[in-house]
Order: sequence, then C-alpha cells, then structure tokens
Amino acid sequence: MSKYLSKIVLVTGASRGVGDLLTRHFLDEGATVIGVARGDPTCSHERYRHQRADISDPQEVQVLFAALRREFMSIDIAVNNAAVLTSQYALIMPASAAQAMVNVNLLGPFLVAREAAKLMRKAKSGRIINISSMAVSLEPEGDSVYAACKAGLTTLSNVLAKEFASFNVTSNTLGITAYETEMLRQLPREKIDAVIAGLPLARYATADDILNVVDFFASDRSGYITAQTLYLGGVH
Amino acid sequence: MVIKTTVIDIIYRALQALNGELPADKQVPLDTQTRLFGPESTLDSLSLVSVIVDVETGIADDLGKTVSLTDDEAMTQQVSPFSSVDTLADYILKQLARG
Repeated sequence: MSKYLSKIVLVTGASRGVGDLLTRHFLDEGATVIGVARGDPTCSHERYRHQRADISDPQEVQVLFAALRREFMSIDIAVNNAAVLTSQYALIMPASAAQAMVNVNLLGPFLVAREAAKLMRKAKSGRIINISSMAVSLEPEGDSVYAACKAGLTTLSNVLAKEFASFNVTSNTLGITAYETEMLRQLPREKIDAVIAGLPLARYATADDILNVVDFFASDRSGYITAQTLYLGGVH
Repeated sequence: MVIKTTVIDIIYRALQALNGELPADKQVPLDTQTRLFGPESTLDSLSLVSVIVDVETGIADDLGKTVSLTDDEAMTQQVSPFSSVDTLADYILKQLARG
C-alpha cells in the first residue's frame, strides 16, 4: 500500500491500456499521479490529477511542466507510455500516419523526459521509465515505423541516461510483449497469437509482469540501474 | 515592463546555484561582463546547460513568462546571447518584449 507513498508520478497516455494500469498501480501504492492524455480522464481518485496535453506539441509540454513545477516543485517518476500505432505495409502507409507515430512515440518521450529531468535535477533524483515494445526485436511486417520509433526510444533513453546521470536521474526502458489493450485489439488476433507462440515464454503478458519491472526501475534501490532495456517473455 | 536588473538578478541566481556545486577555485563571478560561453568562459558545457535551465525556470517563476534560450533564433544571433551575462540579459529582454 505504501511503496510510492508521497511520490509524485507522471504517466503519459494515462487513460487507457498500460497507462491506465500503471496509473492505478501507483495510486494503489500511495503515489500522487499526474495522468497526461489528450482526452478525458478515465480515473477518479483523490490523488489523481488529470492533465490534458498532446505530448508531441513542445508548447503544450512546456505549459504542462510549468504548471507542475508551480504545484509540485518536482516529480519523482516519469513514465513515457503514450504511443500510437498504425500497422500497415510500408508501401501503403500514409505519410501522415508515419509522422504521427514519430511525433507521439519518439518526439513526445524526448520532450517529456527533458522537462521531467529539469524538475528532477533540483532534487538530484528521479526515474524515467520508457515503455517500449517487442516490435523492436521482432520487427513485424506492417510495423516499420512503429518498431523504428520504439528502437529509437531505447537509444534516446540510453543517451539521456548518460546526460542525466550526474544528477542521479536514471532512464530505462521496458519492452512489453502482447498485453490486452485497445492498441493490441487493432491488430489481427491470429497474427499476435502466432508471434506469441514463437516467444521463449509463449504467453501474453499479465499486468503483474509489467508492474514487476516498472517497480524495479522505479525503486529507490535502483539508482545504479540505468540505460537498460528489459524485454518481457524472453524477447531480446 | 521588465527592467534589466530584474533579469540580471535571475541570471545571478542561476550562477549562484551553479557556484554552490563548484569548488572554491572554479567559482563564476557575479558580474555583467562574466563570459558564459567561448574560450574566455570558465563554464563547461554541462554548467552552461544548468544555467540556461535555471534562467528559463527563473523567468517562468518570477515573471510568469516562457522564454526559450536554446531555440534556432538564439543559436543564429551574430553575437551569441551567451557571450556574457549582459548579452544574455539583453536577449531575454528582447524575447520578453515580443511577448
């Protein structure tokens, strides 16, 4: 109940899927959660604060963090979870869909991590956790841009880990396999089943699989863990 | 209308915060002619980044305005805004005047 007591946690893409899962977990464990999403809140809790923002818009991210700085002074944990997926063969992928993925899946995490680190710098402590995907390793057809963005997220995280190390801010990445979300339901189930069947641990991820790793990266004891990417299910 | 001394105070505060982390022989003088960037500057790149972030934050907190000191415009000025405390203050005032 008190793993994150008095911690301030920011979760992007908080309204759905993994973001919603993480939001409720941090709340259950005592944190104050700032949930960022473009739409309305899906969570109602006395320690939940919903901030509507498009993380791919630099101006909106700046305004968001200026407000957070005034209210909370700092944040302890930032989870870059928000993502969009258009799964389509490259030959017919609209440029606008590709651009949207780059903006939300790569530029957004950069902007959020940058502004979060500015707050964490003063406290000389912080955790940045990036949510990635098995697509980086499996490189599935149709996911060219999505997988490339998520691969870029790992590189981004690793470089930020170096730049933020001097003020004890870690940056790590969790590569999730298939977890029941709206995003997953956009994809043909038989294709996902086939991918999962080929994993060393051939099953879908559970909520606890995800929370276990997030807790590890977020832990006060993980100050010496940075620039790491951990995949679930035996993906590497 | 923001006066220059207010902006200089914000810059000095950022330098004081930096000095708090620097050894005695590396202290940055609080002077309008202090060089922030270039061969005559004593600040390394990470220290300059730290000062920039603190100045941007100070402007937002004290004046309620957002300035970006690292956008394309700042980087393409004939005289770098980071040449000295004085030039940085002038550049910030120019940005603030534009609203």
